[in-house]
Amino acid sequence: MTTAGKVETAAAARRELARPARWSWLLRRREILVTAVIVVVVAASTAAHPYFWSSSNLAFIFADSVVIAFLALGESFVMIGRGIDLSVGAIMGLSAIFVGFRIQNDGISLPTAVLLGAGVGIVLGLGNAILVGVVRLPPIIATLGTLSVYSGLEFVITNGNQVDTIPNSITDLGSDTVLPGIPVILLLTLPIVIISAWVLRYTTFGRSIYAVGDDAEAAYRAGIPVQRVLFSTYLVSGLFAGLGGVAYLIYTSGASSTTGINDNLTAIAAAIIGGTALTGGVGGAFGALVGSVFLTVTLTAMSFAHVSDVWQPAGVGVLVLLAVVYDSRSRANGGRRGAWRLRRQRARARAGGAR
Amino acid sequence: MADHEAGAGADYQARGITKLFADTPVLRDVTVHFRPGEIHSLIGENGAGKSTLLKIMAGVYPSDAGTLSLGGQTLPPLTPRDAQRHGIYLVPQEPRLMPDLSVAENLYLGALPTGRLGTVAWRRMIDTTDSLISTVGLRADPRLPAGQLSLAQQQLLECARALSHGCGIIFFDEPTSPLTAHDAEQLFELMRRLRDQGLTLGFISHRLDEIEAISDRITVLRDGVVVAREDGTTATRENLVTAMIGRTLSIARRAVRARAPGEVMLEVDDLVSPPEVDGMSVRVRAGEVVGLAGLVGSGRTEFAEALFGIRATAGGTVTVNGADITGATPRQCIDAGLIYLAEDRGRNGIFADVDIGRNATSAIVGRLPRLAGTFMRPRKELELARSAAAEMDVRASSITAAMKTLSGGNQQKALLSRWMLAKPRVAIFDEPTRGVDIGAKESIYAIISSLADSGLAALVISSELEELVRICDRVYSVYEGRITGEVAGDAVTLEALGQLAVGA
Amino acid sequence: MTTTSPVPAAGAAPDSGAASATLALPPRYRVPGWGVCLLVAIIGELAYFTLTTRQFAGGGQGMLNLTEQFAPTGVLALGLAMVILTGNIDLSCAANASLAAVIAGTVLDKGGGPAAAIAAAVAVATLVGLFNGVVVALVGIDSLLVTLATQFIITSVATSVAGASPPFGFPSSFTLIGQSGLDYVPIALLVFVVIAVAVIVVVGYTGLGRSLTLIGYNPKAARYSGIAIRRSLTSVFTLCGALSGVAGVLLAAYYNSAQPDIGTDLLLPGITAVILGGMDIFGGRGRIGEVVLAVFVLGYMSQGMLIEGDSSLSITMITGLVLIGALVVKFAFERNFRQRMNARMRRLRTPLHRDADG
Repeated sequence: MTTAGKVETAAAARRELARPARWSWLLRRREILVTAVIVVVVAASTAAHPYFWSSSNLAFIFADSVVIAFLALGESFVMIGRGIDLSVGAIMGLSAIFVGFRIQNDGISLPTAVLLGAGVGIVLGLGNAILVGVVRLPPIIATLGTLSVYSGLEFVITNGNQVDTIPNSITDLGSDTVLPGIPVILLLTLPIVIISAWVLRYTTFGRSIYAVGDDAEAAYRAGIPVQRVLFSTYLVSGLFAGLGGVAYLIYTSGASSTTGINDNLTAIAAAIIGGTALTGGVGGAFGALVGSVFLTVTLTAMSFAHVSDVWQPAGVGVLVLLAVVYDSRSRANGGRRGAWRLRRQRARARAGGAR
Repeated sequence: MADHEAGAGADYQARGITKLFADTPVLRDVTVHFRPGEIHSLIGENGAGKSTLLKIMAGVYPSDAGTLSLGGQTLPPLTPRDAQRHGIYLVPQEPRLMPDLSVAENLYLGALPTGRLGTVAWRRMIDTTDSLISTVGLRADPRLPAGQLSLAQQQLLECARALSHGCGIIFFDEPTSPLTAHDAEQLFELMRRLRDQGLTLGFISHRLDEIEAISDRITVLRDGVVVAREDGTTATRENLVTAMIGRTLSIARRAVRARAPGEVMLEVDDLVSPPEVDGMSVRVRAGEVVGLAGLVGSGRTEFAEALFGIRATAGGTVTVNGADITGATPRQCIDAGLIYLAEDRGRNGIFADVDIGRNATSAIVGRLPRLAGTFMRPRKELELARSAAAEMDVRASSITAAMKTLSGGNQQKALLSRWMLAKPRVAIFDEPTRGVDIGAKESIYAIISSLADSGLAALVISSELEELVRICDRVYSVYEGRITGEVAGDAVTLEALGQLAVGA
Repeated sequence: MTTTSPVPAAGAAPDSGAASATLALPPRYRVPGWGVCLLVAIIGELAYFTLTTRQFAGGGQGMLNLTEQFAPTGVLALGLAMVILTGNIDLSCAANASLAAVIAGTVLDKGGGPAAAIAAAVAVATLVGLFNGVVVALVGIDSLLVTLATQFIITSVATSVAGASPPFGFPSSFTLIGQSGLDYVPIALLVFVVIAVAVIVVVGYTGLGRSLTLIGYNPKAARYSGIAIRRSLTSVFTLCGALSGVAGVLLAAYYNSAQPDIGTDLLLPGITAVILGGMDIFGGRGRIGEVVLAVFVLGYMSQGMLIEGDSSLSITMITGLVLIGALVVKFAFERNFRQRMNARMRRLRTPLHRDADG
């Protein structure tokens, strides 16, 4: 082992360290990337259809995305922990129906409605939480089961009726704008997103979700209560889906027995586009919001381009596939798990440091 | 809640430790004493029990007999968390970190520092991480995802974890095997500093020069028993090697080959598979048993996997029985006559919940007797599997018993029956007797020998030198992905292999 | 579940010994325990509904006719079962069936004969399955995500093809597939049974089936055994697509219409039948025969409830509960079983992954 060899390796080592990638920068990169695409889509759409860039249209888009954002937010919590919740749409629907009827028939106020929605969401989320956290069923089966039970419940509760009368005082939140293009409801949602982001980053609970998602066994050995964490993520998912139901009422002023049935994938798609992966350990609240906005913008742009609404589900499906393929490619090359980098570095180190 | 002073070393003794893995004793009445302010190294061949001992002392495994006493007090059975609370930490051979979480979070996993309102104190965590990791010599941004650190850096991070928990007793399980000299030196600087601060340090390595350079005390294990205790300053390499490999007993009894080897069946030229395989050339003839000796991490398994199509190759050629199979898939290799008995039996070899019969036929599904060319015939298949398993002397209640119910030796023999059903010309056996008791070992040696007698070209990868001496006609030594030597015939002795294998 | 005892006598002592190898061949037929339970459940259901609901049995013929309604689910479940066998999942199969139904209907509407309609429908569905297989096996993306996305893409395609007024009112030469029978046996039931036999044969008696099973148990070991993983996975998704196509054809024939959401309701019962039939969601374990029995259990349960007057929505809910319940029971049983086995195995079992150093 010559000193020349040593120096070479040390220099190489120092070079490696010279460009530390800040983890927060990396995460922001994904959200920035998506935001950039949003801007591109908006610009392209506006160029073709000037009305796209109007206060009412933008407000419409944001209000629409808020509903999905709630679902995606809850879904993110679950997915970061390496789980999945296929029932968020149904929970949202049940919440919308339940709360909607209360508003319609009993005239409750908005704050009460919000609390009620949250409550419904938590109760329904409890079902998932118990099945996955306590009974330890595989999340896909557990939430598929609750999806069908809750979807069935939607029909049972509506009993043939539907929610169609929501007072303007409530629905105006979806159309009134504070600033041009920014509906009130978006402003009300932002604090929730910020709080979620804060929980994910600044509470031990939040950080333990990432740990559990990355390596549940190691997390367990480090003393993290894995089952309790998983249990909580499904409660959170339910809670947000419940709130999403209230947002839905604000936005559409109605609810029926089929509300939310198709929104499960959209929620997952938004989360994935926003940077959360099914394999856990990565993702965040802002990603969920950005992903939701991206989806809504793209789908609305499709409408404007006279693509029939029939193709909206396909649009979501294609975007999910693209996002997932992009993720797997960048993982293979950039080494999200570092294995590739490890090997390359080892090879370089060995080449420079033969004994 | 620590039972010790933060970061202070203590006396930690293992007394009379015995450990069995499925009736195979891995440690027998072992007593080792780790003292504060000392680097105490454990050396021995693979299978000697060094790693198991440290794992027991760190709470990863329970012992079957014996006691552990810390500072004079006997400890109750430990879990890893208990051990940490007592100030004992094991830096594992393969660092296990959360790849997506930052360095700082990995450091404080499960015990993130909190500020007011119980929120994560990021600023403080990053600052303390910065200072803590610089004490171990790790220069990295605490915010970096741990998966982006190099292996050496990850290992240093594990050391930092030990210190962050205030551990005073730190064990290192073969930390230097995958490291370069530079990184290893960095680690040694750290260890010397910790030693000077009064910590109790345990260290395992295969490299005698490292052991000589850093140890205050050396304990030699062989076959689960302590055979020598040396002082670091007075130990000589000859003493250590002799102690490690032991006297030449019946293991030197080598099979007399009644046959002359035939044609070259396996010809590998300059195989490259980055980063572990750096240009290896090997030849095996029909009827020969050739060994590949080397340390853990020298690239032998990677070499075999590259031959067999599990890993990509970046250069070189592989020829089996005259046919070029460079870059072929496992299926193509098997069809060309090359089989590979994988090193990690549990993960890559057996189908644990599947019956022995289907395990045995898994490599020849395409060649099983068929009705009308398509439909399998379970009875015939079972009969085939049964006779193959019987030939290999697999002991089980029934051919339909699940593979996981078999002992290690029987599983290995069942796997051998799988591979022999494929009628190979060349067979690579990777650690064929790992996790196998003595009786089955003999059995497997006999099988390999008789297969060679019938014309099989056998390549045996093993970390047990005695095994190679026992059954091989020729042995290559491998070091860091290159062939560094070859001994044949009567030159295949324990001493010769011992010197080659420990990098002397 | 076999009846042979799994405890090897050899475990108590080193392998060297005089004990002769007793690798006896198993008895020719083994009675599968769970299958018996399902059979009992079917008989119980039939008895219950016959006694409580007049229209149910209809002199035995009624019971047979009822199978027309759930034969499509059964065919779908068979395709799903093969995919789940490998440890993957196909969430798009129901939408694929809808697409096939719409395509069949469209061909019939344009004047094509039943043969052309069936061929077109199954061909398209098979292509969809192939797409799924390629993305999962060759690109390497998780099947959950891929099929979740494809499900939505196909739904759009189906809706688009169906157009403003989806096809309905097909010639009787087509609808007889779903609505009439050969003597007493409904054609749909025949189709289901024939396909069931074929799938049982494929899974149990062909190289492909063996490969699928081994992949499901341990994909790494399968790779080291030289099993063509990518080819097998692509094939199984393609087969699932084909079977979804057949299910769609049966649906269109039965309902005499081709709404683009005609198949959506089949996904849940399909997965439930597979799980109820004892297949492991993670792959490997399970017998197609028991899935077939589970199809009947679920089918008669929902038909009976329908005739009794329950709404189809509560049936959905009950099916969801059965799905959850089946797994809860299975897990509880297995945990108990595993605990007992562990106690016995602790003495005998070698840790499958011993340290490099020992």
